[in-house]
Amino acid sequence: MEQALIEVHDLHYTYMRGTPLETTALCGVDFSVFAGEIVGVIGPTGSGKSTLLQHLNGLLRPQRGTVRVFGQDLSNPRVDLRAIRRRVALLFQNPEDQLFERYVADDVAFGPLNLGLPLEEVRARVRRAMEAAGLPPSFENRLTWALSAGERRRVALAGVLALEPEVLVLDEPLAGLDPRGRRELAALLRGWQRQERRAVVWASHSMEEIAGLADRVYVLAEGRVVLEGPTRQVFAQGEVLARWGLEVPAVTQMLVELARAGLPVRPTALTLEEALPLLEEVLR
Amino acid sequence: MSDFEVLRTLSFGQYLPTGSILHRLDPRVRLTGVVLLALALMVNPGPAVGLLGIVLALGLLLLARVPLGHALRSLRPLLPLFAIVLALQMLFYPHRAALAAGSPLVWQWGPIVVSAASLVGALAMMLRMVAIVLLLTLLTGIADTTDLVHAVEGMLRPFQRLGLPAHELALVLAITMRFIPLLGRELERLMKAQAARGADFGRGRGNFLSRARRMLPLLIPLFLAALRRAEELALAIEARGYAGGRGRTCLVRLRMRPADFLALGIALALAALLVFLDRGG
Repeated sequence: MEQALIEVHDLHYTYMRGTPLETTALCGVDFSVFAGEIVGVIGPTGSGKSTLLQHLNGLLRPQRGTVRVFGQDLSNPRVDLRAIRRRVALLFQNPEDQLFERYVADDVAFGPLNLGLPLEEVRARVRRAMEAAGLPPSFENRLTWALSAGERRRVALAGVLALEPEVLVLDEPLAGLDPRGRRELAALLRGWQRQERRAVVWASHSMEEIAGLADRVYVLAEGRVVLEGPTRQVFAQGEVLARWGLEVPAVTQMLVELARAGLPVRPTALTLEEALPLLEEVLR
Repeated sequence: MSDFEVLRTLSFGQYLPTGSILHRLDPRVRLTGVVLLALALMVNPGPAVGLLGIVLALGLLLLARVPLGHALRSLRPLLPLFAIVLALQMLFYPHRAALAAGSPLVWQWGPIVVSAASLVGALAMMLRMVAIVLLLTLLTGIADTTDLVHAVEGMLRPFQRLGLPAHELALVLAITMRFIPLLGRELERLMKAQAARGADFGRGRGNFLSRARRMLPLLIPLFLAALRRAEELALAIEARGYAGGRGRTCLVRLRMRPADFLALGIALALAALLVFLDRGG
């Protein structure tokens, strides 16, 4: 079996540790990311998704358990976390709030400049990243605070893509966007992932969002992994998911109901595109 | 630097709802009592007072069922201050006068002399600082922001006749206190987000200006967020038809019970004890 890029073993994390307000976010999580795959992390609010993601690039250090990124153990205080962070980039939830430069291109350049790259290389990376994030070159000189929220999110995404990371970690990348914005951003991310063949970790509380994207899925609840495996296998366990307040996509749900009503359909489809041929077969 | 938990290190300022006897007192009594004791500690400079103050504060913390470990952690930020107090005291104390008055010599190195009196003075000051910080930890432990706001509003109300906008002042206080943890959390998030893009705040390279520049990726979004939040809050207040304190009734009516008067009396007596202790001697 090939070597995992990121390997998390038995990870525990407690916020406000050592104070009367301790809250446990993770207790015993195993998690891994392999080259070129999209890993979905699903879980209701407060399940520990964000805490897990922040361990993947060393923003949080493991309190118990191990996190190995590119073979390096992040518990070791001598590991160069900045070097890790340029290989594993993290886009936070609502990243549009973190823009600080006046012009779009300057903000996108913040990451590459921090890497100490020559100016020519920074320019090239900014251009590539903006294109990948669906921002036309004319946006380079636009004022960041004159943009719409959706546009600002793309700028923030471009700022992370400009690091040209080997693993891209996304925390609820589509939260708060309208349906069209969600579709467009999902397509952009998908396109980037296909073209660059990089690994992506995608956290969301929406099964629908993950369904058509992820190769493998982890379901987190109350700080533990309650289900994991290839997306299709996990989504087939609707009852387990429902127990944790997660709903399988409406399409899958419908096929399950049809099968239960006695129609000869296999409820394996996760998206509308997959469901259509199955339904046509039945109707014929 | 790997720890981004800004709020964890702030031990005082945390409300601990343990439901103790102290928690059940009228908020005005809780506020006044602690403030009285702290003021008394500031008035009287004797070393015995500091010691007694610490014992009192620890006793009250136990009574409030605040874990002592938690309270003691709040003292940690004081340590560098102690070093400064000690250094200042040793440098600027009138040692020769003290020696002439019969204070024993502790240490001498060339022209530098250190008298025992200066060390006693420094110790007394530190003891009082410890006692006051413990009292503040106690206050924030037994009174959450709502309690404090009620207390301030209740105590300012008599001055309303003189044209003091008691309710509005209390609201300003409430909003300010509510924003502190919010901004702390926001700052934490921004630090992480910028660190994820390779920013480096920890190491103090470069002069003041370049270090200040490195903080811009935090400060600009933080201010923008604060302004936006303020604007949203103003709209939300407006949308609920808020029209200031005039004709407004309270959900919580503050009423002093016998236990409250008793507690206030005890606080007064203790404060008086602290003020007049070893004054005569």
